[in-house]
Amino acid sequence: MTSESPAPGYIRSPMNPSERAQSYSPENGSNAEDVALMRRIVEADETALGALYDRWVRSLYSLVLHLLKDPDEAEDVVEETFWQAWRKASSYEPSRGAVSTWLLTIGRRKALDRLRARKRSKEDTVTGEHGFADMPSTAPDPSSEVESAELREQIRAALNELPDEQREVLELGYFTGLSQSEIAEATGQPLGTVKTRMRLAMQKLREPLAMYRGVRE
Amino acid sequence: MTHEEAFSELSAVALDTASADVANAVRAHAAACPECGPELAAMEHTVALLGELAPAAQINRGRSAGIRSRLLMRARSERESRSAPVPGPPDIARGVASLTGQGQRITPNAQRVVTGESRRVTPAQAPSVPFDVVPARRGVNWYAIAATVALVITGAQLFRVTSDRERMRSQLAQVDTTKSPVDSLTLALSQKDSMIAAMTGPDVKVVALTNQGARQPLGRMMWNRSSNDWIMVAYNLRQPKPGMTYQVWLVTADSKISAGTFHPDAKGNTFMHAKYAMDRNALRAVAITEEPEGGMPSPTGPMVVAGAA
Repeated sequence: MTSESPAPGYIRSPMNPSERAQSYSPENGSNAEDVALMRRIVEADETALGALYDRWVRSLYSLVLHLLKDPDEAEDVVEETFWQAWRKASSYEPSRGAVSTWLLTIGRRKALDRLRARKRSKEDTVTGEHGFADMPSTAPDPSSEVESAELREQIRAALNELPDEQREVLELGYFTGLSQSEIAEATGQPLGTVKTRMRLAMQKLREPLAMYRGVRE
Repeated sequence: MTHEEAFSELSAVALDTASADVANAVRAHAAACPECGPELAAMEHTVALLGELAPAAQINRGRSAGIRSRLLMRARSERESRSAPVPGPPDIARGVASLTGQGQRITPNAQRVVTGESRRVTPAQAPSVPFDVVPARRGVNWYAIAATVALVITGAQLFRVTSDRERMRSQLAQVDTTKSPVDSLTLALSQKDSMIAAMTGPDVKVVALTNQGARQPLGRMMWNRSSNDWIMVAYNLRQPKPGMTYQVWLVTADSKISAGTFHPDAKGNTFMHAKYAMDRNALRAVAITEEPEGGMPSPTGPMVVAGAA
């Protein structure tokens, strides 16, 4: 596939060749199947879009619903995300990560756009109700695949290792889309402190999660 | 942007919380920076993985099916409208058949059972203007279920169903014993019988579709509430303007369900059939509006005909 117009927010920078293997693909089998579907989508095979939808709608919906707290809006975002996947399929590059990661990235960005729009229209305010702690460790999961559960536990464990102040800025950035300046204002911390905390949080998460970059093809 | 400045913004860019200007500058720097490039990639991957933590939420099955259908229809529509050649020109009858089990072709003499132009369902998205009904809230049920409404055959008048049936029966009697054509004819005949039954059953609700100033009804929607068949006939419709199409709406108290788009035949007549389950008391009205080609998620154009249920 080509890389004419990378998806918003997606990885542009080069990766280590060892990392170019396929990334983790949680509960629906190999990422290779997703990549094959993406190739068919590039060739305008809408049945592949349907198959991709079936594989990832649940994960995507779960994420955007958690961000937006509104089922109607979440459904809109799900549709927009898969539609973008159809329209921009040629921008997906397997070397840069799993299809599922790509979809979740698109979906999250769209959800954040809506959150920001809410904020602009003053229909909603940041209440701090979002957080990784809201994400239950025993969420119902019909697929119950071992790797998926393992990944979630790994992420959760890594988050729990973060100091509270680092986890806080990460949560605000991840769930609300607040800029670092806004986070500084909301938390009463200097901007530099916020930047440092966020960077440290990301760096601390990176190592325990690195293994999920090159898991299975 | 200096390396230090870019490095300090990496996490914001990875989280998509940096301004567009800053993000562009950071990405431009990272693309050429051996330190920032991998760092940004790793951060973005970490951010993406955080999405896996979302608590499993179950999307409503019906709504999910609606979204899926809508996506596939949009995709197919876009594929078909692309100017560049695409593999395998669409067989409308077969495509429709795949959605509904209808729209069969007759194999002998390559004659089609039903003439006219077929249209697929167009998604409905948000309640809107032209209908004088209770405004619907955003993204309600109809949004998801609309795409399950499959309109299958258009362009022929209602009476053609019965005349086609007789013609097919005649063909069936004359055809040789080759199994395949006989099967095709039998299937088509069976479908005609089903359609007639759907229009004449005891539980059929009929909605007259009229236009302001018109003395005679310009159409009828027949809804067999037992079999969930919807059959619409409309007469004397003018051709939609270039780039426009007609779109059918099923109006309930809180939604306007797109039931598909169509172009009338040369005489301005249309016949459509859909399979769609709806609460037997939910229908408030049926309307047809003129919308841009491909249909709209909610009605925006002028109402052509409408009728209260």
